[in-house]
Amino acid sequence: MAGPSLRAKGSSKSKNTSNSSSSTSSTSWTKGNEASWASSTTSTTTFATTIHEHGGNVEASGTKKSSTTTTTVSSSKLSLAVHRYSIWLEENQLKRYAPWIAIAIAVLVRCTISLGPYSGLGVPPRFGDYEAQRHWMELTLHRPVRQWYSDKSKWWDLDYPPLTAYVSWICGYVTNREKSTLSGNLINPEWYAWETSRGYESQEAKLYMRATVLVCDLVVYLSGVIVFVKRWFDNKPWTRQHTALILILLQPGLILIDHGHFQYNSVMLGFVLWAVACFLNDQDVLGSIFFCLALGFKQMALYFSPAVFSYLLGKSLRQGFFGCIWKLIKLGIAVILTLGLLFSPWLQSQEEILQVINRIFPVFRGLYQDKVANVWCAVNVVVKIRDIFDTKDLLKFSTLATLLAFLPSCLHLLVKPTKRGLIYSMINASLSFFLLSFQVHEKSILIPALPVTLLILDEPAAASLFNTMATFSMFPLLRQEALELPYFVLIGFWIWMTWGTFKTASGLMQFAATLNLLVTVSIHLAELLVPPPARYPDIYPVLNSLWNAAGFGLYWIFFNYRQFTLVNTPKMGLRVTKPSKLE
Amino acid sequence: MSEWTLDYPPFFAWFEKLLAQFAVLVDPKIVQVDNLGYDTLATIYFQRTTVIVSELVLFWALQRMLTVMGNRPLQKIISWSLMLNPGLLMVDNMHFQYNGLLYGILIHSLVDAKQGRLLRSGILFAILLNFKHIYLYIALPYFAFLLRAYCFENSGNSIRAFRPLHFLALGFSVIAIFAASLGPFVVMNQLPQLASRLFPFKRGLCHSYWAANFWALYSFMDRVMIILVSKTGLGQYFNLTLDASALSATTRGLVGDTAFGILPTVTAQHTLLLTALLQVPSLISVFRQPTFDRFIGSLVLAAFSSFLAGWHVHEKAILLCTVTMSVMIAEKIGANPGNNGAGSNSNGSGVPGNAKTSDLLSPRDVRSFLIVSLAGYIGLWPLFFTREETPIKILITVIWFVIVGSGLVQCIPKSLLSTTAKAGPRASIFNVRSMFRCFTSLECLYVFGCIPVQLYSNVIHEALFGLERLEFLPLMITSVYSAVGVVYGWLLYSSEYFSSQRAQDKKKTR
Repeated sequence: MAGPSLRAKGSSKSKNTSNSSSSTSSTSWTKGNEASWASSTTSTTTFATTIHEHGGNVEASGTKKSSTTTTTVSSSKLSLAVHRYSIWLEENQLKRYAPWIAIAIAVLVRCTISLGPYSGLGVPPRFGDYEAQRHWMELTLHRPVRQWYSDKSKWWDLDYPPLTAYVSWICGYVTNREKSTLSGNLINPEWYAWETSRGYESQEAKLYMRATVLVCDLVVYLSGVIVFVKRWFDNKPWTRQHTALILILLQPGLILIDHGHFQYNSVMLGFVLWAVACFLNDQDVLGSIFFCLALGFKQMALYFSPAVFSYLLGKSLRQGFFGCIWKLIKLGIAVILTLGLLFSPWLQSQEEILQVINRIFPVFRGLYQDKVANVWCAVNVVVKIRDIFDTKDLLKFSTLATLLAFLPSCLHLLVKPTKRGLIYSMINASLSFFLLSFQVHEKSILIPALPVTLLILDEPAAASLFNTMATFSMFPLLRQEALELPYFVLIGFWIWMTWGTFKTASGLMQFAATLNLLVTVSIHLAELLVPPPARYPDIYPVLNSLWNAAGFGLYWIFFNYRQFTLVNTPKMGLRVTKPSKLE
Repeated sequence: MSEWTLDYPPFFAWFEKLLAQFAVLVDPKIVQVDNLGYDTLATIYFQRTTVIVSELVLFWALQRMLTVMGNRPLQKIISWSLMLNPGLLMVDNMHFQYNGLLYGILIHSLVDAKQGRLLRSGILFAILLNFKHIYLYIALPYFAFLLRAYCFENSGNSIRAFRPLHFLALGFSVIAIFAASLGPFVVMNQLPQLASRLFPFKRGLCHSYWAANFWALYSFMDRVMIILVSKTGLGQYFNLTLDASALSATTRGLVGDTAFGILPTVTAQHTLLLTALLQVPSLISVFRQPTFDRFIGSLVLAAFSSFLAGWHVHEKAILLCTVTMSVMIAEKIGANPGNNGAGSNSNGSGVPGNAKTSDLLSPRDVRSFLIVSLAGYIGLWPLFFTREETPIKILITVIWFVIVGSGLVQCIPKSLLSTTAKAGPRASIFNVRSMFRCFTSLECLYVFGCIPVQLYSNVIHEALFGLERLEFLPLMITSVYSAVGVVYGWLLYSSEYFSSQRAQDKKKTR
């Protein structure tokens, strides 16, 4: 019954000239060659007027008119295969299926990557992150809650906040049920038996663990991406929204670490996404609850906290005296209640909570681990700072440096708390932490990579290059775990998917992308063909981290610059900078 | 003697020899003959890489196909659907074979035929035959087409139109290729040995997991009747006797002879005869009028007949049907002047008056293609039995089906679609969904029926019975269900093929 009406809707839409997206793109199909794509993309300048910022910001209502007239969009051209695919979907009235296809593709990629090895596969005695996660399931299942953080079994200590522990408990609990006929072959309590299961490895256990990551990813991260894309790209045409959705879902680094290396980063990042999505809708209390959940899952969410804090504070300050107080009370209660609930089992004595905090912030582990593409590791190549200074001094010094690094961006956000500014500031704050803070791991680049990827349509070239670099910077880690094949496939696929973004980018960006590609390829080739000299066995990881540290440093400058010029308009409308400057 | 005998024709052996030259560079141990079951990571990477590289031939062939048949966006769907075909992906890149290369050569040959370079087309096909003799299945239409189109004048029907030069050229080049391939073995007097390797008639009617063909249905019927007879004693009324040897379950499902309990045993001769008989009508139609249209159609039908009725058919052979069908559909989209690729919106006027309706892509083509592909690819699933692979094979197939299916439905000229779509809700209860609007409700039922059937055979069966008991049941259900789909698709396509022939003939006589 709805069939004819559906088609009627479709045809009327294509006749409707005001709907530029469907009419221009359908004419472009008739030519059916590359040139026609140019015509369709030039026609997107008409979109430019429709693309303006989210209306819901603090003062935008008054300035909306002026901002829409002056706005030009930095990403007016988009010659991506994914975008062409989205246009094709729209023309064929497949919008209804499109999200499902995108999800299916995302799941397919994740499943395929998870066929590969994981961190610490068959490497006794300590194994790796996989064993750590497995052990936490064992630990939480068999110990009382209050001993989770004080267990002295000299095996992977639980060093993540309580929400990780609760999720581990759920994952372990599911398997520990009486062996029923339905679950008998799929899950097995042996995997998490106390003490006897240390270092347990089997195909079935691996499959189950992989499945838990996938489910967590789908429930928290994927849903977060969908909600975020809906809200952030609200004013963009559907095809662009869909392009963004696919690109964000296929971000290579996160897939490699979560589904290859084995971790649950997507849960933390998913909660952050939900928080941002709520902030976009001005649901600040709900957003801060989500942010606390992210903090409660992995302390690394703290990288974002300066930006989130200054955004919320800045927004409160603009609500008049009593409004401000009331808002701060609401936010404070939400934060305290959420964190309090999460930590409630250990709140009964000071010792216990200190023990938890000690475990979560293990300062004794040193300035950084392995080779990280941050400032300290780069400086260390020249000056062995770890030998010169005491760990405590280093801690103080690095904390101070981090503070100084994110301060400008956060102060700017505090004065002008806009939504676009929030995302830029999240990038700057997390990059500051990554580059300068204490105890950074190379995987932590995933944290700045999240907000950068969210700008995939606003800063297409920068975002895609950043992800390439982030993935490359994790190569030494992935190589140790025999994940080279998934790495090369995913990074190659990402470069192929996003190469079109550089066609319309500034000359500088094109140069940077080409140079980065050349350097990446040559380091890989050299590593493959030339064995490292005996004097410098780590030459390739060091080169990698030096190159990427320089890149991320430049990115820090770039995004700071973008943030400061971004909102640099008379009345703080959320408009993009003048196109002539960077495009 | 090694366990994995080389059962491909000589050219493939030479190809493997070529690969071995590179393999030595990677790891010398790969090529040692006594080194079976050798799998280091390097070996796997090397072998997989060779597959991917060899598939460039397919990629090249598809590029040619696009340019020759008109580079319409919707044809891109077809070529992408071939390139990312779940069957090929699963069989080549998960299971491990070099089908991409071979189908690449086949498509090259077909494109040549379309362009009218018939000699080259024939030579390519002869080479292909010497790569893998499975293509003998479609040799007859090739023979008929080349004989008629190349060795006779276009217009004439009589013997006077015969062109001896062309005939000799074709004959000599084909013989030369076979001589190059088989010659050394003839000299060494190894031909009987080669033949027994290539045509293993001792291997039994059905392959390990029954391929989704007539014999799967036949065997299934036999099993059902055995149960009926042994449990109920119905046999005495109909004077049926059980063959006791068939009851021993060991021969079932393994490579070996398939024994039937009640139904008469089928021999290799029967299957050959049946295969040939099924091909005859389409061969006649090609011979009467050797257009590319009819040629490709008869290829599809030949592939079907050999898949459905052949001896010891492997599930993978379904690719022969789906690949030729894809080329057929690409050709039909190319022949459709009204369809400029912007979907059914822009070509609302339908077919221009001078275009022959019978040449255009009809809903029946699309329906049969989609159903055969779905059934055939699901029939491949049992090849990948580990749990890790389960979501992958399902997702590949579903994504392919949704994208290609909905793309193809848009390709059908509106005027042709309307016959089914006008009937609307009556014809299909799933009419609401744009993609299923060309299917009848029975077909929709079949497509959605796959979900519970596969749910049972992948999950529920194991939960109910465990891994050991009745292990053959899920495989049997899968292959029987797929066989129903393939047979249905075949019938649908046959009816489309012959009815369009009749329409063309009528026009001619008028």
